[in-house]
Amino acid sequence: MGEVLIKAENVSKKFAKDFKRSLYYGVKDVFSKVSGGERKKELRKTEFWAVKDVSFEVKRGECLGLIGHNGAGKSTLLKMLNGLIAPDEGSITMRGKIGALIELGAGFNPILTGRENIYNNASVLGFTKEEVNKKFDSIVEFSEIGEFLDMPVQNYSSGMKVRLGFAVAAQMEPDILLIDEVLAVGDMGFVLKCFKRIDEILPHTAVIFVSHSMPMVSRICTQITLMNKGVIQYYGVDVGKGIDSYYQHFSAGENAYEVYSNQTLKFISASVKDRNIEGGNFIIGWNEDVEMIFNLQVLQPLLSPLCSIAIYNQEQRGIAESKTTISLDIEDEQYFKNDTLIIKMSTKKLSLSKGIYSITLNISDKKSSSPILKINNALNIQVTNAAQTWTSYLLDIDTVISKSKI
Amino acid sequence: MQEHQRTLEEKVYKSNNHYSVTKIIKDSLNGYAKSFYLAKQLASRDIKALYRQSLLGFFWAIAPVIMNAAVWIFLQSTGTVRLSDTGIPYPVFVILGTTFWILISECLLLPTETINANKSIITKINFHKEALITLGILKLGFNLLIKLGLVVVFLCIFKILPSASILFFIPVLLFTVIAFVSIGTIISPIGVLYNDIGKALPIAMQLLMYVTPVVYAVPKSGIMKLLMSWNPLSYIIINIRNSLTGGSVDVLFIVLLGIAAIVLALIAMLIYRIAMPVITERMSA
Repeated sequence: MGEVLIKAENVSKKFAKDFKRSLYYGVKDVFSKVSGGERKKELRKTEFWAVKDVSFEVKRGECLGLIGHNGAGKSTLLKMLNGLIAPDEGSITMRGKIGALIELGAGFNPILTGRENIYNNASVLGFTKEEVNKKFDSIVEFSEIGEFLDMPVQNYSSGMKVRLGFAVAAQMEPDILLIDEVLAVGDMGFVLKCFKRIDEILPHTAVIFVSHSMPMVSRICTQITLMNKGVIQYYGVDVGKGIDSYYQHFSAGENAYEVYSNQTLKFISASVKDRNIEGGNFIIGWNEDVEMIFNLQVLQPLLSPLCSIAIYNQEQRGIAESKTTISLDIEDEQYFKNDTLIIKMSTKKLSLSKGIYSITLNISDKKSSSPILKINNALNIQVTNAAQTWTSYLLDIDTVISKSKI
Repeated sequence: MQEHQRTLEEKVYKSNNHYSVTKIIKDSLNGYAKSFYLAKQLASRDIKALYRQSLLGFFWAIAPVIMNAAVWIFLQSTGTVRLSDTGIPYPVFVILGTTFWILISECLLLPTETINANKSIITKINFHKEALITLGILKLGFNLLIKLGLVVVFLCIFKILPSASILFFIPVLLFTVIAFVSIGTIISPIGVLYNDIGKALPIAMQLLMYVTPVVYAVPKSGIMKLLMSWNPLSYIIINIRNSLTGGSVDVLFIVLLGIAAIVLALIAMLIYRIAMPVITERMSA
């Protein structure tokens, strides 16, 4: 723990949106750099700041999570940190040996065997032949591809390729490690193995971790940088806070969307009782009691309908459904045109895990059970909690461990 | 945990408009030295993969030379075209001319082609980019060895005995390769960004071949003699060919070529180092 290994100071990088212009600027930049002439700092036509005024530092033993939506500038920043492209403004200081887990299996030739490609990949990553010979057995062991070692890599599954690539990369002993979304592929067992290896490297390395997987980020990062359109939106040690603001971005601007309507009801609004709204989401603490209220306008007379909701997570995967909400023995009430239909749904101890969820409202006819109205994103909620989990539910479970005597 | 007492190498990346020429040349030479193993490994990868997926293998390295030579030998032997006396048996003349003419063309395109072929690692991995030039030269050298085998066969068939001038063969060949790979490197930044260069060069070389004594000797007089005497490539081809066939070599020209090769190589190192990051950001990942 201690010395600063990565230091970025007011780093900026511009790119051109137009391809032809980008090439033209490229040629111009080469000429002006070679001739040593002054390069204009301001934006040229069609250019924009892909990264603007980014500053942070990472010490040995720390891991900085770099998160943000697509196009936020993460990859560009990572390329600058890796020394592939130079910043247009500001400076980056890197101290020590740099290892990059950006592309696994770089230098592989599909026709050659796994054995040959270990040498190819390792040489690209900067290993010498002696080092590879020495580490060859541990690479093969780590990759778990044993019997397929002498098969052409083109016949490997994508998971096998990733395993082989990671096995080689895992042999690096860097001072600085840059990781980009490489662990997304591969089965769970292997991902855990990779994390174990990263855990081993972590205490004596400064790590920058780029990922869209918030559970992974909260698992290994000690500080976090949230980027949005090239600028830093949040930078600090409160990883949870950074993740929350990352999630908020998803729902902002996402409105209720009518999927089906038979023109009997019209959706007006939805809310959660006694909760604040932030960035379009109602904020709910984990395991709290929740009451949701939906307001609808009656367009055609109808009897009490059946109402239900379904909960979707960030990846639009359905994770929960409600049981039928109005018990059948209640006497039907007649609703007339221009009445407001109010649906209140409450649930005790909602134990969704930290994250953002959208709620779909379904209304159907009681007798025929034919659909009346279906609204996606009728309501967005954000569950706040300290613990970040891999799954959508954080169950409130009491565990008792005991010993039974034989 | 082990103690990290060793001094750490510090790298600073920033936008730099001012640079020191000597530092860049030093870095570049260092890059060539440090990346040799990588270049060797990638060269053996490419060569292995190439021949593993081929039935005729080595034949493809000499096929262009044989084809071009065969056409001209046919034209000459049937009397379709009347050519001035070449001094040595015509087939040897043509085989030597085309071998080294194709070599020059390959050298010019080598940097652009190698960079394009390795885009995927350039945009993802930080390594000494000099490795790519070495990689190209190693592959070129491997192909050249096969072609030289063909040349030796022809020299034997026609019983041509080399004289002391064969001592100049290696230097001329080396200077030629260095000079033209350097020119290729200097134009590679543009060649990588715009593929026009890659399309135009082979056409230009095809045209240039006819004003260079590749498949016919310099005529005794006329406009062609004038064009050829103005064309520096003529002297390269003549000297390489003569060094193998016992003809006279122009030592002064070889020295000048050597000097030109060194100057071009230094310029190429400088431009390549400066241009690579700029090209990288314009390349598709």
